[in-house]
Amino acid sequence: MIRRLACAALTLALLLGLSGCTPSGKRATDEFPRHETLRIGIAWGEPNTFNPLHPAPSWPVQQEHTVIYQTLFYFDPEKGTLLPQLGSELRLFPDRIEVDIHEAARWHDGKPVTARDVAYTFNSLYRINPGFPAWQYLSAVDVVDATAERPRTVAFRFRAKDPNPLMVQHWLTLNAILPQHVWEPLLAAAKGDFNELIKHKADQNPIGSGPYRLHSYSAEKIVAERFDAYWGNAALHGGKLPAPRFLIAPVYKSNDHYSLALQQGRIDAANTFIPRIWLKARKGVRAWFDEPPYFPPACMPTAFINHLRAPLNDVRFRRAMAFAINYDDIRELAVSGYSVPHEPGFILPFGVEKRYFNAEDAQRVGTRFDPTRAREELAAGGYRGVFRDGELIETRNAAGERVPTLFIQCPAGWSDWESMVRIMVRGMRTVGIDVREQFVDSTAYYRALPLADFDLIIATPSPVPSPAEPWARFDFVLNSRDWAPAGERMFTNMGRFNRPGSPEYVARFDELLARIPVVTDEAERAALYRELNRLCMEVQPAIPLVYRPKAFYEFNEKVWAGFPTAANPYLPPTVPSQGAGTLMLWHLRPAGGSGP
Amino acid sequence: MFRQHPTLRYITARAGWYALTFLVAVTINFWLPRLGEANPVDTLMARVSGSMDAQAAREREESYLREFGLVQTDDTGKILRAADGTPLRTSILTQFLRYLRMSLQGDFGRSIVQHPRPVSDIILTALPWTLALQIPALVLGWFIGNGLGALAAYRRGVLDKVFYPVALLVSAIPSFCFGILLVYIFGVQLEWLPTLGGYDEALNPGFNAAFLSSAATYYILPFLSVFLLVVGGQAIGMRSMCIYELGTDYVRYAKLMGVRESTIVRYMFRNAMLPQLTGLALTLGGMVGGALIAEMVFSYPGLGLSVLTAIQSLDYPVITGCTLLVTTCVLVANFTVDILIGFLDPRIRAAREGEA
Repeated sequence: MIRRLACAALTLALLLGLSGCTPSGKRATDEFPRHETLRIGIAWGEPNTFNPLHPAPSWPVQQEHTVIYQTLFYFDPEKGTLLPQLGSELRLFPDRIEVDIHEAARWHDGKPVTARDVAYTFNSLYRINPGFPAWQYLSAVDVVDATAERPRTVAFRFRAKDPNPLMVQHWLTLNAILPQHVWEPLLAAAKGDFNELIKHKADQNPIGSGPYRLHSYSAEKIVAERFDAYWGNAALHGGKLPAPRFLIAPVYKSNDHYSLALQQGRIDAANTFIPRIWLKARKGVRAWFDEPPYFPPACMPTAFINHLRAPLNDVRFRRAMAFAINYDDIRELAVSGYSVPHEPGFILPFGVEKRYFNAEDAQRVGTRFDPTRAREELAAGGYRGVFRDGELIETRNAAGERVPTLFIQCPAGWSDWESMVRIMVRGMRTVGIDVREQFVDSTAYYRALPLADFDLIIATPSPVPSPAEPWARFDFVLNSRDWAPAGERMFTNMGRFNRPGSPEYVARFDELLARIPVVTDEAERAALYRELNRLCMEVQPAIPLVYRPKAFYEFNEKVWAGFPTAANPYLPPTVPSQGAGTLMLWHLRPAGGSGP
Repeated sequence: MFRQHPTLRYITARAGWYALTFLVAVTINFWLPRLGEANPVDTLMARVSGSMDAQAAREREESYLREFGLVQTDDTGKILRAADGTPLRTSILTQFLRYLRMSLQGDFGRSIVQHPRPVSDIILTALPWTLALQIPALVLGWFIGNGLGALAAYRRGVLDKVFYPVALLVSAIPSFCFGILLVYIFGVQLEWLPTLGGYDEALNPGFNAAFLSSAATYYILPFLSVFLLVVGGQAIGMRSMCIYELGTDYVRYAKLMGVRESTIVRYMFRNAMLPQLTGLALTLGGMVGGALIAEMVFSYPGLGLSVLTAIQSLDYPVITGCTLLVTTCVLVANFTVDILIGFLDPRIRAAREGEA
């Protein structure tokens, strides 16, 4: 009996095995034929909702993704410019930004997109969204040509205090415009309660204005289907349709699986972290560059320093720490070499920001890896490390008291950050700073960060591509507009730098932060950035550690060809559904190969 | 009445104990994740708070706290505050009582991380996959493993000499390692079998040949990763049990009396099987937990990912919902085996009847 069972099982397994060996090419039974489908590795977790008002919806509805719902403009981080989307033109005035809606723009149901839709989206839907960030920078959004049959111009009016055209543009590239005729009844049904409104999943034929529509979804994948009547095909792309008929985002359960699927040609593009990508090149996996750094670096993981705790409130101690870190080790060992050599300060010394970077200042006042200078700074502040048999025992301050061991915090399991922390600790202990690693559960990390419950902590300022860079990065690290004591929450300047009213307060930081967004003269702006960056290098409010890409971008040209690269940079390196990367859908072409 | 019905009394007593265990387990499952300082709203805020100012962040946070019932509200839904304006948190006890009340009505709340999905929706869409992978693998593995183990013990010889070390090796490999090995050999190196997902991405699930054959192909490796381990583990146990039984007086006596071999094996098998049966109950109970590993290694559809993310980000309702499921599985499986053994094992039956 048992033997018979075993035989049956074996036969079954063999049969199944055989069916698995059949080559999978073009099969008539496929609902989403491979050669018509672009598969993107981007769905992190099972789909929860497709409501664009939800703070964390699924692909392709989340922020920056524009295949169903569109924003007014795309942002191209490589060129630093805005590209038209629903908006055809942007005019900057001292007190407002005016945007013209493209005259051809239509919703999926054929109704025209008007300035009223834009005003309604901001004034009603985003207005009741608790803590909606764009409203921090706006006083009003109104229709300019309100009497027109189809109003097309909308004005975004700045706040009178600290007007900030940069951040308004930032939000125009991120906030989707929604159809008033669809959402007004939904809002009424929710009785105006935002928490009720976002329980609506918007997953049944949702009306947007983009080139694709939601086709179907399950816990295993999300499918979007090309909307052939998309207004932009004729108006913006000379009548061309996007090449893939379907976009599919499979839901895999770990980073490695997206990487594996990309090597197998099972997905065509991804924004996952792939360690040692050069080893995957022979399987056809490519990135923006074919050599290091592979990805264009764009943001700076930074060690935030708690300015409320001694001796971290001492500039000499902070600079000593910054001098003690081996930035080359971090670049080579912690981030797979996906970076370029590090310069001090908060301005990227390449790309769009290069025009604001001053090499002379960086050389003169910046902190680089230099253990001798680190020891000098410590000695000048009266600190000294006590060593026994070459091992650091403790650090003493000028009064001869022991400085309590300091901890550098980061979430456990975030291996690149953990490596950064280890390299920092090693460097600082060598020069006599008593510091240790503190790897905590990510939930504890998220709690500690805004409450200032840390000595040093790793975080990335301003992680989204933005026309407001590098201002947004400085602002994230420095601004004291909402300064709150430890124990209350701050989601920028978590280290509580520059408390207004305190003896150490430097008003110039806040003046510069307020001034930079409103200057129109490029030379003046460069001068202000130079001053701000020099101040930062002198005072060392936090320690930028390395340059990283804001999003990874890899592709495999087995099934689709024509992905933008550094050699053919017709679009920025983002997956085709994210930001301006969406435009590559019209440029991709079938490669003739078939993936599994 | 129980006096006349010892069996009924036995079942009721067992059921009583299991009900008590269930209550204790549910309480612990509810309290444990809530004991720490961190809470899921902190994690959510970190995801959505990019460039929010203090006022905006406070509004968003309070909106979350209200939505998830973590702060006290008045009848109109307004948040109650302490004198300094901070919202009054709901005590764990109040949360627990509300949870019990809602659970009794079949409402397990909404996920926090996968908001606004109801927990019941998360579990119900995933559970069929988890069961379809685990139950056949466990049950088939149990039968085949025990069969092979008994055979190896009885026949000895070459079968035993080859089979026993192999089984020992297989069952000693941690299950995630074994899964990764399978992925590496068959998926990456040989590229014979798909190693990611539950079916081809070119298809949507449906009752048609294309989907079923695709699902069958994708089933092989995850199935083997569970099945082979179960076979190995069970076989070793069964082999030892059988070898022990072979040396007992009743087997020797039966042999001397010239009882037919197949009859002896049958008696022996029945005796050796009892501890293995308890083992099966435990394995079936731990199914959801074990599913996690196979599912994560093969990106196989099922509860695994939801459970993992829930635990990583303190998604209270999902953690509570899934642990409730695990608790129920373990207890139901054990209860069933308890009852079954009560019937199958003459010693327990005799003891019970003796009491009556």
